[in-house]
Amino acid sequence: MRLTVNKLAKAYGFLWALKDLDLDLPPGSFLALLGPNGAGKTTLLKLLAGLVTPTAGTIELDGKPSNGNDPGWRAQIGFLAPADHLYENLTVEENLRFFSALYKRNGSASAIGQALEAIGLAPRAGELVSNLSSGMKCRLSIAKWQLLQPGLLLLDEPYGVLDGKGVDLLESFLQAHSAHGNLVVMASHHVSRALKLCNRAVILHQGRLSFDEAKQQPWPSFARAFGDFLPQGESWSS
Amino acid sequence: MELLKQAYLLLRKDLRLELRRRDSLLTMFFFGTLLLFVFHFSFDVAPDKMAEMAPALLWLAFLFTGTLGLAQLFQSERENHCLDALLLSPLDRGALFLAKSGFNLLLMTAVELVVMPLFWILFNLSSWNLLPQLFLVTLLGTVGFCVLGTIMSAITLRARARELLLPLVLFPLMVPVLLATIRCMETILRTGSFGDGAPWLRLLLGFDVIFLTLGVLLFDWVIEG
Repeated sequence: MRLTVNKLAKAYGFLWALKDLDLDLPPGSFLALLGPNGAGKTTLLKLLAGLVTPTAGTIELDGKPSNGNDPGWRAQIGFLAPADHLYENLTVEENLRFFSALYKRNGSASAIGQALEAIGLAPRAGELVSNLSSGMKCRLSIAKWQLLQPGLLLLDEPYGVLDGKGVDLLESFLQAHSAHGNLVVMASHHVSRALKLCNRAVILHQGRLSFDEAKQQPWPSFARAFGDFLPQGESWSS
Repeated sequence: MELLKQAYLLLRKDLRLELRRRDSLLTMFFFGTLLLFVFHFSFDVAPDKMAEMAPALLWLAFLFTGTLGLAQLFQSERENHCLDALLLSPLDRGALFLAKSGFNLLLMTAVELVVMPLFWILFNLSSWNLLPQLFLVTLLGTVGFCVLGTIMSAITLRARARELLLPLVLFPLMVPVLLATIRCMETILRTGSFGDGAPWLRLLLGFDVIFLTLGVLLFDWVIEG
């Protein structure tokens, strides 16, 4: 799957949240979306997910222009928002079964059981999601997208509520997902973790792309570009 | 067919959530019953005027009770941004409309099944044999209320004062349904058959079909607007 974004822009009233954004992500790309608060990261994710309509520009998946009305288009996109997008009063298992049926994926008891086993929630399969901690809900979101297997997976600050084991689960899932030729776009303030996983990074600043490069080792250009956003007195080593 | 399958999936999920929480059904049931008691103690209706008054009073109760249900209709989707999860999914928006309308229809029908006989008891009415026909007309009116109500509920979903806004936009549009249902029920209570009420019944059916079709076709635009 290939994602192409041309001159993408989004304005809220007179304020440009995002302007003139171009991206071209070949299959298997893992993009780290970085930048300070209010840079436009979440807006970009929502535009890619089709939750927000662009003011200008186009988004294409495998050369097909975005069409939010097309269920086939939407089936290819996943949005992992930690602890969100889950029904609190359905059980862990019911949530997975419901979304599997919605996406027409394998929602058999064994597939769900395996997914829950992988994230360590198998013993709590029959519990209501409202009884889970935020970290567990985030793990459940990981299991959900593991089952649904979207071609383009978008993540908004996934590290916030995860414990160490949860972070490992998330990262191994994301690495495997992109290794299968799928696309991953992850917005995060955990720069070192995001850079470890990604094969490309972009920095957004005030709605514009201020940096866009494939990963290098060492990466002095990134260190220079990112230095502008570091807290006073801190430095970034490539 | 896929549309109906998806609608069934969503409806089943909504029913399961309602059975766990029971907040909509219980609220609607108690409010409907409470209104009946208020009417009972407030109005001293002469038996010969009952044919005119009963349908209006009943529908006043259904209208307020149904609006309570509509205000809660997207409650489960508002939690945890689940509406976004549905909008992201390959779900046909028409299926979401059908499921939500169907869900509200089931809740309202359950309330009506209790409230109508209770009304007959409280107002000491003798025409029990007419209840099936009256219930049929009420059901058609309820379908109209639910389909239009679901559209309006979705339109006001992101509004700040949606609980206040919903009746303001819904009630004026409900006039044809209310008029047709009340007139039709009145005819049945007076004559014992549909008789003169047939044109009202056709209006009711037409309203239901038109708004059901519009809802399925336009819900995409309505829910994302």
